[in-house]
Amino acid sequence: MRLLTHNMLSSNIKGVINGFPLLIEAERVVEKQVDFNLDFLKNMFSKIDWKALADASKTMGYDELPDEVPDPSVLDSQEFLQKFHHALLELHLEEGALVYPETGRRFPVNKGIPNMFLHEDEV
Amino acid sequence: MSTTVAVAVDEHQQQQLKKGIAEFYDESSGIWENIWGEHMHHGFYDTDAVVELSDHRSAQIRMVEEALLFASVPDDSEKKPRTIVDVGCGIGGSSRYLAKKYGAECHGITLSPVQAERAQALAAAQGLADKVSFQVADALNQPFPDGKFDLVWSMESGEHMPDKLKFVSELARVAAPGATIIIVTWCHRDLSPTEESLRPEEEKILNKICSSFYLPAWCSTADYVKLLESLSLEDIKAADWSGNVAPFWPAVIKTALSWKGITSLLRSGWKTIRGAMVMPSMIEGFKKDVIKFSIITCRKPE
Repeated sequence: MRLLTHNMLSSNIKGVINGFPLLIEAERVVEKQVDFNLDFLKNMFSKIDWKALADASKTMGYDELPDEVPDPSVLDSQEFLQKFHHALLELHLEEGALVYPETGRRFPVNKGIPNMFLHEDEV
Repeated sequence: MSTTVAVAVDEHQQQQLKKGIAEFYDESSGIWENIWGEHMHHGFYDTDAVVELSDHRSAQIRMVEEALLFASVPDDSEKKPRTIVDVGCGIGGSSRYLAKKYGAECHGITLSPVQAERAQALAAAQGLADKVSFQVADALNQPFPDGKFDLVWSMESGEHMPDKLKFVSELARVAAPGATIIIVTWCHRDLSPTEESLRPEEEKILNKICSSFYLPAWCSTADYVKLLESLSLEDIKAADWSGNVAPFWPAVIKTALSWKGITSLLRSGWKTIRGAMVMPSMIEGFKKDVIKFSIITCRKPE
């Protein structure tokens, strides 16, 4: 699971007001090289939840992103773009879990695939 | 349309159905892929076409393209979809195809862990691991926030949904303003104004299929249109493509009866064999105009 995906996932358990973002429990993180695509990164910058990405990246062991969303002028900085690219696309959670912070409910991640299926009493 | 169609079973039964669906596809996906490839849906054929066994894979691709065409999904660089959700993604055939076609990010959801894993492996093998991601999740409770996707794609998964209203509501919820929603699914024929339900002999055909394919009660194309209207979706269009899928089930049966088919089935499991045994009922259903292969598309208001 890449952090791009994590930035999309939320839990919608019955009664939960805000199921995003989910915390990451990282047991095994793998780095996979992905081709750099400037247009894609620029497009994604405005769409993603920055704080969720920055926090998730730190949990995955990569602490190079600013905590708060930077000014869009950073998109001119190659150094920033490389870090953004790395965090968003190249860090993979292979084994671990996504956790809903308020209840501690864990959604397991196995072989990079999150299992978001809800139990009967959660729907 | 009465609420009994929208919610055919209670919560517990729904969970049991979902478990059955997951197990069915965990068991049978491999054999399907082995014989039919990565697309787990009908091919689209010209009506009354004479079809060779080798035509089916390109027909399955054509089904995807015809659906996009029907829904008028733009493919110019300004307006083409950038984020796509594949609801009931199987082993990711549509996800990978759409991601490649549009250069888009595609997220697929399936109840089957085996399918999700296989979908991911195929994505990696095809150099698409950075474009597509797969999650085990329930289409009735999609694990995404509102309004995320430019294209919401459901290719032959709607028939598995026990609560059609919830299914369609989730499709609408995760669609971004202006997004296109495409549903290609199996329905029963529309009821006439004087009919409350299908005739008993028609229900009999469908019931035979339901238990073996893990389907809840069927609804009609008209029911889907009414649901989309009730959610204030726009540009609702529907069509009956039953004539364009006629060669499919006879071809599937033919491959099942081949040496490779039979040996694979015998090695698979009871669920897969049971599924294979109701394929003639699908043909019967189409021939008697009970089963319709439908496409329903619409747009989320801006």
